[in-house]
Amino acid sequence: MKVQVNGALLRFTDYRRVITIAAPTVEAALTALADQYQPLRKVLFDREGKVRATHRIFLNGAPLERDELGSPAGDADSVDLLLAISGG
Amino acid sequence: MPRWCTYEVPVDSGLFSPVGLQPTAVFRLAFNGAGQWLGRNAISHRRLVSEHKTGFVIWSASFISDRPVSFFDADCLEMRVMGRVCGDGTQFACEGQVRGSFGTAAHVQATCVPLRLDGDAALSGVPARLCPEVMASFLPDEIEALPHRSPVPGLRAVVAREGTLLARHETQFTIHRHQCEVADQWFWPEAASLASGGREDLISAVADSVPTLRHALGTTVRRLDLLFNRPFFLFDQGVVVSTAHQWKGRLVFIHELVGTEDDQARALAIEQFAAAGASWN
Repeated sequence: MKVQVNGALLRFTDYRRVITIAAPTVEAALTALADQYQPLRKVLFDREGKVRATHRIFLNGAPLERDELGSPAGDADSVDLLLAISGG
Repeated sequence: MPRWCTYEVPVDSGLFSPVGLQPTAVFRLAFNGAGQWLGRNAISHRRLVSEHKTGFVIWSASFISDRPVSFFDADCLEMRVMGRVCGDGTQFACEGQVRGSFGTAAHVQATCVPLRLDGDAALSGVPARLCPEVMASFLPDEIEALPHRSPVPGLRAVVAREGTLLARHETQFTIHRHQCEVADQWFWPEAASLASGGREDLISAVADSVPTLRHALGTTVRRLDLLFNRPFFLFDQGVVVSTAHQWKGRLVFIHELVGTEDDQARALAIEQFAAAGASWN
């Protein structure tokens, strides 16, 4: 599937905006993405390995709740990953 | 008595346009001044972020011009800034005054929402009350139970209802890094720049058919109010949807800053000018 990374997260993926990941679910894709881009791991996941609540995740444009991240996804699907809010 | 932080700012030509103070520059000064106020009276912004895992995201801001001031009026401006907590710790607000030997040139106000940062390098966070340790550094006079209310929704409604729509225009933009702050989201005074750019593009596009709008290029904005819903981030694309209105002897420009990706208004800006031949009251 294609994972689209936005805004404040781009610096953790070497400024790559669209990354193709082969994975059976959205959650597996995010884990694979963090494996590929190590700086993203601590930003995306908390200490317990759960996706931080500060991120919004969309599958083909529809927002996913945290308990829906196991949703199956294939090559034709698109996942959008964005930070809801941040602050300095 | 609330504490004020007062200091001099040497004048440089970038603070001004030919028609007066640049609101974006004043907002930047005020935000910097709020940081000075925090550092002197409570805790530095850097320590707030790094030690208390507390950041800020802007929610509303206003610029009110008291009198026209030019680059040639003074060598230094005096900034006075005061900070306070509103809404029982759910907002941090600062008020600023830009003054000189000529009197007060402008008032600014900015209200931020505290965030409890998650501790990651992206400075992600969720809205939260200021922690008790930080709250304790404010004097009783600097803590208000009621939250600050933005005038923007009410003003927008009354202008739309009572005013005369003169023109509409759209200006596209992309957020680049020079417009961002430390979290790679836009530095909020950029909203004022994008709004004024939308106004200038609107006037350039329609002034031949609505010549009264040219007045808003040659005079200083008397009041600018901003309301923020969600930030723009690095490389986000958007469009400034600008409408011009005649209302009570004023030219009023309403700007929606809409994200292209989600088609949602992330900020709203309302600029007010005295119409040609009208006094400001």
